[in-house]
Amino acid sequence: MSDADAPRIGIIGDDVPRQLVFAAGAVPRRLLGSWHEPVTPEAAELLGTVDAAAGRVLDDLLAGRHDDLSGLVVCHDSQANLRIFYVLRILAQRGRVPFPVHLVDVPRVSANAPARCFVSRQYARLLDFCAQVTGNRTDLTSLRRAAEQERELGRALEAMRERRRAGDCTGTEALTAYLLAATEPPEVAVSAVAGAGGATAPGATRVHLTGSNHPDAEIYRALEATGDVVVVGEDHDTGDGAWLGVAADGSSIDEVTDALTDAHLARPAAATGGLAEARAGHTLRRATHTRARAAIALVREHDDAPVWDLPRQRQALRDHDIALVARTRIPSGDAAATAARESLADLRELLATAGADA
Amino acid sequence: MSRLDAARAATQHQKAWFAETARRARAGDPIALVNADAPHEVLRAFDVPYVVNQWWASIIAAKRLGPASMRKVAEAGLPDHSLQYDAMPLGAQDLPVEEQPWGGLPDPAFAIADSHGDVTHKIFEQWGRRPGTETYQLSRTGADPVPPRWWELVPREWETAFGTDRLDLLQGEIEELIGWLEERTGRRFDEDRFVEIMRLANEQAEWNRRTRELLAQARPAPVLVNDTIPAVMVPQWHRGTQWAVDAAHRLHDEVAQRIEDGVAVCPGERRRLMWIGRGLWSDLDLYQRFQEEFGAVFVWSMYLAIAADGYVRYGPDPLRALAARFVGLTDLLYVPPWSAEWYVKEARTHGVDGVVHLVADDTPGGGFISEALEAEGIPVLEIRANNADSRSTDAARIPERIADFLRDRVPARG
Repeated sequence: MSDADAPRIGIIGDDVPRQLVFAAGAVPRRLLGSWHEPVTPEAAELLGTVDAAAGRVLDDLLAGRHDDLSGLVVCHDSQANLRIFYVLRILAQRGRVPFPVHLVDVPRVSANAPARCFVSRQYARLLDFCAQVTGNRTDLTSLRRAAEQERELGRALEAMRERRRAGDCTGTEALTAYLLAATEPPEVAVSAVAGAGGATAPGATRVHLTGSNHPDAEIYRALEATGDVVVVGEDHDTGDGAWLGVAADGSSIDEVTDALTDAHLARPAAATGGLAEARAGHTLRRATHTRARAAIALVREHDDAPVWDLPRQRQALRDHDIALVARTRIPSGDAAATAARESLADLRELLATAGADA
Repeated sequence: MSRLDAARAATQHQKAWFAETARRARAGDPIALVNADAPHEVLRAFDVPYVVNQWWASIIAAKRLGPASMRKVAEAGLPDHSLQYDAMPLGAQDLPVEEQPWGGLPDPAFAIADSHGDVTHKIFEQWGRRPGTETYQLSRTGADPVPPRWWELVPREWETAFGTDRLDLLQGEIEELIGWLEERTGRRFDEDRFVEIMRLANEQAEWNRRTRELLAQARPAPVLVNDTIPAVMVPQWHRGTQWAVDAAHRLHDEVAQRIEDGVAVCPGERRRLMWIGRGLWSDLDLYQRFQEEFGAVFVWSMYLAIAADGYVRYGPDPLRALAARFVGLTDLLYVPPWSAEWYVKEARTHGVDGVVHLVADDTPGGGFISEALEAEGIPVLEIRANNADSRSTDAARIPERIADFLRDRVPARG
């Protein structure tokens, strides 16, 4: 069966080792929602107060926009996603969503033995779920093939990151490629990533983006269209922070899931699961690696975790002369683009002041 | 209506206990700040006094220090709009000592929490950045599986209720916590003492179950929920002590006596109400405000009910039992379908005519709870507000909305 015909398994969140999904003969499709469209009253009522991007994911599911899926995996990588799982579990029982729903729960509080064992079992259960959805038996051969496929994407992504670092790929192009990589079959994804490029505006300030993730590239486009900045990197989970292109080897299925467990537990801290200190360290490493001169944090309303990281991020970046400007509690709709423009104004002012001080 | 002696005694005990704990801490003994879902019994076995973050938040809010505390959070560059209930004690710690409730909380040596939601672990991380405080974080897993009628499963069949994988993780982390505390306190974990603590905790839960059953049957309601909340919750924070068992026993006997004496907190009771959600610490008088005009009395809050159904665990391995106590405690209250079916069961057994459902911003699926109750013919008023932050509850116009609800949707009995 070609990837074009393979069953699609929807993924909400960023804790799924895609190798396991491919190995079962399915194609993972990350569901991303939107920063711009309003959440319907029904989704808001079902979820309570949550990040609008998560609300949009549920909206899309309830509207039947993903009815072609054969199964859905929800990651407990944020409270909003966990709530989506709780809601969908009930709605699936009522026949409101036409596919089975499965939770992947892989906490990263510590990488100790109990955590490792728990995560490994979770990945084994995920593999079982995917196999039940597709009806295919997973074996070492299918795992190896899936690993090769995912690593090819990983190599393409690494090359794209290098182009971006060298100024040969805009943030908008890169983010668009990341989003395609997370949602499209492998051939399409690799091709999109390999083709991502575009000259950056001469003299544009190199900025690192932190805060909420970006389910679409509109904010990046708004920032870079000014010609003032180029987004050279980010630490959110739809860009450089996305768990894409990673695979593991082993002489048994258990060894593979154990190796994926280790890879998961070694990932940089995410905003929702990580501590502020670890987040600040990661932000600084990424910003210095990409030679960012400044950082912009844009945080959606009700996406509270990134806001708790800001004081430590600001301090860590300041110690390396990297300015941080932040806009928080950004509502959905046009406010996001407005917040992006305001953050740019703040940034110009901050950099001008720093220049004058120097 | 006179207060319950059990409530008065509990409050007095808590003040004396807090003063003694603060004195010990200032003399150099380690104390701990913990969240409500952390395995407190381990600390008790180490003889490390602990203050429960949510209880301390309730005191801060009741003293109307919530806004000032949240301003301190904001002054530290941290958000004052995020999980205020958990964050409030962090801010209160920076208020001048003379303004802090009860003479202030001495800096804890340990801050221990499970990583509930997106922010709790970050709040406790901030505690760990304060001089003299170290943080220990436990994982928090999602409620999967959710077999029906959890209240029948959790006392003994917890492997079925919560799943072996979740229990293995938390048990392993509790074992690591024990080692962490042994290193830092220089004390040895006393297993015999721990077994006794677990036995006492079950005995306390059994008394709470009996009290809850008395109140479910009693007509009219003989006690105020304002009274049962401290009478249950203060002993809950002393779970595993003989004092807590005796307090639960005294509460039971006092309730039984009031029923026998025909005491009514609302003479002419015409509407029996259930309060779902956390206590409204910033306005506890609210619970009595509808008695005179509407004959409406709040007969149920989760505090006694979860003490009755949620904590008891019997089994041969006390550490496993402790993991089973905490692995999904909050899930029982807030995760549908578990939460919804339990509230329906409680509403039926208590003969409730209407429900006020305070939906907090950090709890999922509130609508399923309301839907399940409405399906049983029980009208529900949903209010979305933060219980500890008076800025939020004032904005929600809670008294006005409850009055409208009673007028429009909850007919008076007979």
